[in-house]
Amino acid sequence: MGRQRIVMALAGAGAVVVVGAALLLPGGQGSQAAEAAPREPVPGDPLTGAEIARAGDIASATSRAHMAAGRVNLLYVERDDGKDAEERRRAEAYLYDYATDRLIVRTVDLGRGTVVKESVTRGVQPPPSKAEEVRAAELLLADPQYGTGVREAYTRAGGGQLRSASDLGLRGLIFTPGQENGPRRCATHRCVRLFVRLPGGTWLDTSRIVVDLSAKKIHTLEW
Amino acid sequence: MSLRLILSCAMLAGVLGPAQTASAAQGPLAMPAARIPAVPAQAPQGTAVAPAVRAPAAPCSAPYRIDRTLPNGARWQLCWEMRTIEGLTLNKVVYTPKGNRPVSVLRSTALAQIHVPYDSGTPRYHDIGALGQSAIPLLAADCPGGERREQSVCVTTRPRGHAYLKSGYEEPSTSAQGHDLVVFAAFQVGWYTYLVEWAFSDDGAITPRVGATGSLAGSTTTAGHGWPIGVGSRDFEESHSHNVFWRLDFDIQGKAGDVVEQYDFSGTRTAKRKLKRTTFTKEAKALNRRTRWWRVVDRGVRNADGHPVSWELNNSDSSQYRGPAGEAFTRADVYVTDYRSCERLATVNPAPRCAGSVDRYVNGERLTDPVLWVNVGYHHVPRDEDADPMPTHWQGFRITPRDVTAKNPH
Ligand SMILES: [Cu+2]
Repeated sequence: MGRQRIVMALAGAGAVVVVGAALLLPGGQGSQAAEAAPREPVPGDPLTGAEIARAGDIASATSRAHMAAGRVNLLYVERDDGKDAEERRRAEAYLYDYATDRLIVRTVDLGRGTVVKESVTRGVQPPPSKAEEVRAAELLLADPQYGTGVREAYTRAGGGQLRSASDLGLRGLIFTPGQENGPRRCATHRCVRLFVRLPGGTWLDTSRIVVDLSAKKIHTLEW
Repeated sequence: MSLRLILSCAMLAGVLGPAQTASAAQGPLAMPAARIPAVPAQAPQGTAVAPAVRAPAAPCSAPYRIDRTLPNGARWQLCWEMRTIEGLTLNKVVYTPKGNRPVSVLRSTALAQIHVPYDSGTPRYHDIGALGQSAIPLLAADCPGGERREQSVCVTTRPRGHAYLKSGYEEPSTSAQGHDLVVFAAFQVGWYTYLVEWAFSDDGAITPRVGATGSLAGSTTTAGHGWPIGVGSRDFEESHSHNVFWRLDFDIQGKAGDVVEQYDFSGTRTAKRKLKRTTFTKEAKALNRRTRWWRVVDRGVRNADGHPVSWELNNSDSSQYRGPAGEAFTRADVYVTDYRSCERLATVNPAPRCAGSVDRYVNGERLTDPVLWVNVGYHHVPRDEDADPMPTHWQGFRITPRDVTAKNPH
């Protein structure tokens, strides 16, 4: 395909689009869940889709009101593969409270159907969930300058009119200010750096954009 | 002390003591696996020492089970899991050399981070987001000769060239072609595609490696930090490092008895070289050196020569990136820590009530169940050929059996 480049002027950040040869991929698969017919899992198996749903339910039971209000999100459920509990089926549900900036990890014993351990902390950020990637893109699209820039780039890439954030190929990484200068409050807030893929396999350069999901704000990094 | 015997040759009499090693070595050169009538009673739970009268229950069910006997008779058994955060994770890795008993090698291994600092100082990515959500569905052509598991994991076999070639004395030479069992998945992280692969060779070696392909990130910089790609010399694509970390929980026949040793060979500009062994009794950070290597050894598990079974870690071809003080995790090549289930990633560790990076996991604990963290860096200076799609650049290291069998079993 050659090294064709389109430079797009986005207010606040010089953005570059690289034209790649790969296919536009959908937002990825929740591949932890088995797609095969339900079977009784053995201890070393990944969690089944049913187990993930059940663990999420059990872990969310005490947070329903906050979840309904959008204050708390269930990020994902991961199998607990700790050596000390190898014979037990246990799942760790990651929840995040954006109002208090607390990470809550609830360990669910699937045999007993109860939460057997809860850890709450601030300043520890597990990777963004798929829903958070979409949420971050929605905030980006709601930004007067960036939103217009993304929509124009989407149309220019042949995607027509952008209907919603989920039309974009999205991938998020946590941003924490450390060696990189950035908003100080991202040390405790849930801040996401977004990669945005357009139709035709092009990528938008969003490396200077940080979306603060706790404050619902967009920051532009100064380099 | 319970000796957990792997090799059965000349061991039918029971427990093999050090005094018997000489006679054991005289045993037949190749023997089929035989039953050991008596097994030491104190063998910890989970070790594979019991006679193979009844097969132990598989640690995972069919879609996640990999059990492959390579053409030379070497067998590898393991389980895979696509974890939300770490992505492809391999568990319960067991190696069975031809004609020998199975030996468990790794309880678990996965990527622990890909740290990507750009040469101008920014950006500095920690590329492990939710890798499991970023797995790329593989096409049949992406998994040549193999089978795809749940769309994104490829299990295949491929040739690895000469296993050996030995000239004969008045007869034709003997030679053999080797094979690898390969397990891999591909992940989309920003512009890059990362190929995450483990090769299990028919000589017992394991080669974990990561290939970076996809597209260049397209960040432009000044001449001092990049390389001109594109027409003329206006756009300098920025150089950067890919510092890949792996986490390896070795459990040789169970977690008990595993010890990590470091080997050095002293003497420069002298005729003699002297072997120096350092045993890590506490958590440690170690640096690469040209002739330095490490091994995980279990003195309770012996081959037919009476030598303790071990797995050697070496051949790390790292660019040895050393970052600023705030990135202390870049300042060693191998970390040895005592097992803690919350210590998952080498940086940006997602677990509450746990340290945040691998350099902080090393805090003086006595080693009872060692976990190794290997850091292999690659400094990527872009070139015209990198656009587009970018040719895969690989980085990894080697794990080789040392004294798992008393001789070449193949
Ligand atoms: Cu690179």
